[in-house]
Amino acid sequence: MTPGAHAVGTSPAPWVGRSRPSLEGNDIVTGAITYVTDRREEGMLHGYVLRSTVPHARIDGIDVSAALALPGVVTVVTAADVPVNALGPRDVDGPALADTVVRQVGEAIALIAATDARTAEAAAGLIGLDLTALPVVDGPAAAAAPDAPQLHESGNVSGAIAFSSGDVEAALADAHLVLRRSVHTPAQEHVAIETPGGVARWDADATSVTIWCGSQNPGLHQRKVARALDIPQESVRMIANPVGGAFGSRNDDPMPVFLALLARRAGAPVHVHMTREDVMAAGAKRHPFWTSIDIGFAADGRILGSAVRAVADTGPIITSGPNVMKTSAEMSTGPYGFDVASFDGTVYYTNNANAGAFRGYGVPQVAFAIENAITEAAHELGLDPAEVRLRNVLDGGDRHSLYRHRTTTSLNVRATLRTAVEHPLWAQRRQWQAGAVGPWRRGTGIAVAMKGVGMGSGTGDTARARLHIDDRGHVIIWAGPNHTGQSIQTTYGQVAADALGLPIETIDVRVGDTGEVPESGPTAASRSTYAGGAAVRAACDELVERCRGLGLPLATDAAGVGTKLVELGEAEVNAEFRLPDTDDIGIVPPEQLATFAPHRVYGTCTQVVRVEVNTLTGEVRVPELLCVLDCGTPINPAATIGQAEGGILQGLGMAIMEDHRVSEGIPRTTSLENYLVPTIADTPRMHTLFIEGSEDSGPFGAKGMSEVVVVPTPPAIAAAIRDAVGVLPQELPVTPERMLALIEEAPCM
Amino acid sequence: MHVNGDPVATPAEADHGLRLLDYLRDHLGLTGAKEGCGMGECGSCTVIIDGRAITSCLVLVGQVLDAEIRTVEGLAAAGHGPLQDAFVARQAVQCGYCIPGVLNSCAALLDRDPDPTDAQICEALDGNLCRCTAYNRFYDAVHDAAAARHPNGAGA
Repeated sequence: MTPGAHAVGTSPAPWVGRSRPSLEGNDIVTGAITYVTDRREEGMLHGYVLRSTVPHARIDGIDVSAALALPGVVTVVTAADVPVNALGPRDVDGPALADTVVRQVGEAIALIAATDARTAEAAAGLIGLDLTALPVVDGPAAAAAPDAPQLHESGNVSGAIAFSSGDVEAALADAHLVLRRSVHTPAQEHVAIETPGGVARWDADATSVTIWCGSQNPGLHQRKVARALDIPQESVRMIANPVGGAFGSRNDDPMPVFLALLARRAGAPVHVHMTREDVMAAGAKRHPFWTSIDIGFAADGRILGSAVRAVADTGPIITSGPNVMKTSAEMSTGPYGFDVASFDGTVYYTNNANAGAFRGYGVPQVAFAIENAITEAAHELGLDPAEVRLRNVLDGGDRHSLYRHRTTTSLNVRATLRTAVEHPLWAQRRQWQAGAVGPWRRGTGIAVAMKGVGMGSGTGDTARARLHIDDRGHVIIWAGPNHTGQSIQTTYGQVAADALGLPIETIDVRVGDTGEVPESGPTAASRSTYAGGAAVRAACDELVERCRGLGLPLATDAAGVGTKLVELGEAEVNAEFRLPDTDDIGIVPPEQLATFAPHRVYGTCTQVVRVEVNTLTGEVRVPELLCVLDCGTPINPAATIGQAEGGILQGLGMAIMEDHRVSEGIPRTTSLENYLVPTIADTPRMHTLFIEGSEDSGPFGAKGMSEVVVVPTPPAIAAAIRDAVGVLPQELPVTPERMLALIEEAPCM
Repeated sequence: MHVNGDPVATPAEADHGLRLLDYLRDHLGLTGAKEGCGMGECGSCTVIIDGRAITSCLVLVGQVLDAEIRTVEGLAAAGHGPLQDAFVARQAVQCGYCIPGVLNSCAALLDRDPDPTDAQICEALDGNLCRCTAYNRFYDAVHDAAAARHPNGAGA
């Protein structure tokens, strides 16, 4: 429908719940879109980052004279040149550029700007480094050793979180079955297809900098740049899209700081585009975890108690380490309700790859432990694995097993499970299994997951929106969180069109520019649609209310109403949405609410996976997969399914192929030749179903879903492998080598 | 050398050693071809050279002085507007960074075979990594494009 086709007195068709193609789709398919690394500025220089090739060394000297003498080199920046050489307020946030010590392969040491990229790279090779090797802390065990070198003044423990809701061992004493198991999940690289980079331009007159660089948190990057350059926050403008993917990697990325430092020193625009090899070494990974679980079951499959302990490796600086572990703690009881639980998690500093935010944020790691245990318990108890889960799942409004806080009524794991077990993929699994041919054995697995939406209770998580209506009746909405590939502005537009009752073509949504968009926090924690959408909704509702109070007919005469509001000085609305805390915080001490940050709202998901295992080669194929989502109202259903499918494939990668390997502090997976991610040939046929539901606090009943979809895939694949060949993998990824070893070590086949 | 149907000035000899990807982006201003790995693994720099989908990061300018090169910017003029439209309509696009390479692989396939099977599409796209979408909608979009380009053919 065109704007003009609108008859007076009728409402536009609802947009919420209708699939709407991405607003930048046409520019993407024609090549017209300018990603931040495509940007070219007049007089632009090219930058390069010199990085450490050793995991741990003292820096005794840096000689840049030969590099500066190379024709074409404009500037070289080292730690001594950085006004405030810090990526955050704490020592453990790390320096912008290494000063006295390097602590990982890939750590940035110097920045070079030159007239062309080749010269910049050549200059990096001329920088003289006087390094003295230091002992390498090559993992959490080495970090915890009594005589370990200490990587920070505060020691090698980056964070620890522990909580108990009772005596787990006492509960296990009465159990019919007790399982004590340990699992390992690997470091995983995001492999956003656009590597970090962009352009920065320094304005000497205004002493301000504009940075075009991908970011999941433009406001945070604005503050980081301001700190490092020692200029006011208002003097930094981050324009954080279009960007070619993120998945967590643009949360901790120091690239905006590097660009700004170079532009200021060079006094000219500077472009940097990281190589894939540099991202493989230096980009923050999903935290590798070592997770153990003690869990007891009654004969009927009910969980009586669980104790989960987790150790994570965050590499040399803190990035998101303790926050990831906080999320692991909350989700260590899975989507299950039982009486007694405990968690104890520790994050260590090492000289391995830095780890940070990655879609799922600590949940896939602990979920693998608990879901594997449920899978094994079902076999041990002779029960159907879906039925065991149905006997234990939380229902909406139930108390959480660890913190005993109240969940929201929209939580509906049960419906996702019930829908999944009725689907032919599960219901006909035995017929499918019987069709196995040759060395390929077939199996079907099921797993469930739950993940909090937003930052959690006590954190003050807030999203904001600013709205303006002009004298043509056209509306501009500046909103966040930013778009990093999910085209969130398309979704915000749908929310706004329905909330305002205006044609969607007359609404322009802008995100990701700190010069225009009010601070709205990160594109993270499954909060963009939920919190950002709710802020948009609040701004629109306020405009509608304002018009009603003034007796102005917004829906039928937007131009006239806009004209009047502009005259009155009432054409702009600012609104915010603050994430609601849980109604009842359970046994969490009130003064420590933000420390544990229990969620009120959760998204949930059940997946059923078919797997074929080659008993001769160990290959694992995943031909078909079902995903049943509890995400409230899907505002843009095809976009939501697209998010689900992409997340599932990242979970599949983690399950059977992706493993960022580091030994002795040296990364061994250095490029896309030896770090494998799923191709189209690895991708299963997928079915995504929504269950009916609505989250009252979300925009039009929506809640977040983009992370929870990653979580069940690895344990569902492990369960399917168990069903196919009788062995349950406890270590990911299940490479052909590991699969063959498991088959060969199995007691009987 | 022809790019997107138009003749381009013969590259200077000093530029023969440049990667075609850099020549397209920095000398011709065609930034549709993207760099994702620089070693032919990710496929985001895929362009069509004499009818074949090829990763332009592994091609030197001197190797293609007489070639017909097509980039994402020239797809519509080559009759692949329906393919582009189908990717948008099917919501097969998320961040979009891999899409120029994906489209070129699909366009080269459609030029070879106007009504490809799923197996052919899978083979044609096995060198194009996408981290956002999980690929499945690419099949639907290619089938839609095949049907739109040959409305009376088997794919209609």
